[in-house]
Amino acid sequence: MFVSGRMSKDLITAGPDITIFEAKKIMTEKNIRHLPIIDAAGKLIGIVTDRDVRDAMPSTLLKKADYELTLAKIMNFPVSDIMTRNPLTIYAYYTIQDSLLVMQQKKVGALPVIDEEGYLKGILSTRDLINAFVNIMNIDEPGTLLCIVVKEQQGQMKKIVDIVTEEKISLGSVLVARFWDEEKRAIFPYLLTNNVINVKKKLLDMGFEIIDPMKWYLDQLPKK
Amino acid sequence: MKRTGFVYDEKYLLHDTGGYHPESPERLAVIHTRLAESGVLDKLTRIVAERANQRWIEAVHSIRYITRFDEACLYGLNEFEHADNAICRETFDVAFYAVGGVLKAIDAVMKGEVDNAFCAVRPPGHHAEMDKPMGFCYFNNVAIGARYLQKEHGIERVGIIDFDVHHGNGTQHIFDRDPTVMYYSIHEHPSFAYPGTGRDFESGIGEGEGYTINSPVLPGRGDEEYRRLIMQDMVPAFKKFQPEFILLSAGFDAHVSDLMSGTNLTTDGYDFISEVVMNLVNRFAGGRVVSVLEGGYNLEVLPLLVENHIKILADMK
Repeated sequence: MFVSGRMSKDLITAGPDITIFEAKKIMTEKNIRHLPIIDAAGKLIGIVTDRDVRDAMPSTLLKKADYELTLAKIMNFPVSDIMTRNPLTIYAYYTIQDSLLVMQQKKVGALPVIDEEGYLKGILSTRDLINAFVNIMNIDEPGTLLCIVVKEQQGQMKKIVDIVTEEKISLGSVLVARFWDEEKRAIFPYLLTNNVINVKKKLLDMGFEIIDPMKWYLDQLPKK
Repeated sequence: MKRTGFVYDEKYLLHDTGGYHPESPERLAVIHTRLAESGVLDKLTRIVAERANQRWIEAVHSIRYITRFDEACLYGLNEFEHADNAICRETFDVAFYAVGGVLKAIDAVMKGEVDNAFCAVRPPGHHAEMDKPMGFCYFNNVAIGARYLQKEHGIERVGIIDFDVHHGNGTQHIFDRDPTVMYYSIHEHPSFAYPGTGRDFESGIGEGEGYTINSPVLPGRGDEEYRRLIMQDMVPAFKKFQPEFILLSAGFDAHVSDLMSGTNLTTDGYDFISEVVMNLVNRFAGGRVVSVLEGGYNLEVLPLLVENHIKILADMK
C-alpha cells in the first residue's frame, strides 16, 4: 500500500562531479534507467535518466572518427550539466495508488523518495509499481475472472462479496468498470479458485447477470 | 470396431470431496451408469486398476511432495494446500489407484491386449505440478503415464493432447524443457479462466522450444473456434512431431452447459475433437492412445460426452 514497502532501497547513486562517461557506465552495468545524484551529505540534488545521457551523446550517424572526437569532448563533462535539478519527489508515506497518479500526471518513469530533511531514502520506478499492482491484485496466483453486470445502486457489491465469502473463496481483487451502460456497471471479481460453479449458480439465483467478458470488450471497441 | 479398454474402479469413488464440491464421486458414477445402460460398457474390455508403484510417481513428483500429500490425508485434513483441493483420508490411496489405472491401460495397449483405452479415473491430474497440488489435482496422471511410456516401454516420442477447458499448467511445466514430449492444450483464454497460464506464446523452453503448443479460446466462442485452432495449431505440429503414442487429457468442461467455463463447445464440437484426435492417432501413433478423464462437471452432459468420446475411440460411431 505504501511506497516504503515497494520502493527500491538498495540505492545506486552518484555525486554531481562524476563524468557523463562514468554515469553512463554505472547505468549500463547496473541496468538502471534513473540515477539519483546526491551531495556529500546524502541529500538529493538531481536525477539523471538514460535519456539525458543519450541526448548528450553524439549522433550515431556521424562517421566513426567524428563520433569519437565528439564523444571525447563530451564524456568528461560533469553529470551535473545534464541532470534534472530539484526533480519531482515523493515521501515514503505516499500510497502506491497516489504514486501511480503522480507518474501518470507528471509523465515520469521513476520518483526519488526523500525524507522531510531532503535525504534520499529510495526510488520508486514503473517496474516497482507494476510489481506492486500485480501483487496487490493477486493476478500472479491461479484464479478465475468473472464478469457480473449490476444495476447502478447501492449494496450490489456487498451481495457479491457475501456470496464469494459464503463459498469460502479467496477474493484476489475486484475491478469495476463504470461506463458499462448508463444505469449499469460491470464488476470483475478475480477469484483465487478453479471452483466457480457454485458461486456462479448463486449469483444467477440472486438475479445477477453474468456475462461473457468478451461481450463487454466488444462493446468497448470504437464504432466505425 | 476397435478393442477399447476401460479403466474404472469403485475405489475412485472413495475420494470424498465433501458433498458440495463439483469434483465429486457422482461424476464417475453417472458415467458408469450411462455406459452400463446404453450397452457400451459390454463392448469394452475392462482393465483392472492396480495401486501404482511409487517409483513411477517419483518420475514426475518430488518425494517431499508425495510425503506432504500422504501426511495431509493421514492427519485427516479436508484440504491440501488450497481450498480447491478437497481431500479425505482415502485420497492419497485413491490417487495411487488413479495413476495405477492409467499405467495398466498403457500396458494393455502396449501388449496389444486392446487397441486403445479410456480411463474413468479421479482425482484428475493435469493441474498438478511437480511439487504442488492445484485445481482438484494431486498426481499428474497423464505426465506420469508419459514418463512410464518412455522408461518402461521404450517409447521415445509421446504426444499429449489436453482438451480440458483449463490449461494443464502442471503437464506443461513438467515437460516444457523436454523435446521428447509434445504437449498441446486447447483451453479457455488465461485472461479469464483458471489457472491463468497457456498463452499462445508459451511454447517451451530451451531444448523444449516448439514442443509446447497452446491454443487459448476466448469465452463465448465454441465449435468454430475450436475447429479453426485445432486444424491450425495442433494438426501440423503433430504431423511434424510424429508421436509414437498419444495420451489425452480428456476434460469435458468446455461444453456450453458446463458452468465451470465460459466457452461454448457443443456436443458435436466434442465429437469433432475426438475424431481429429483419432485421425492423428491412427496415422502416426499406430492407433495407440490412452484417454484419461480430467474435468467435466455438468452431471447431465458429462456421461453423454464421455460415451460419445469412447464410441469414437472404439469406432462404434
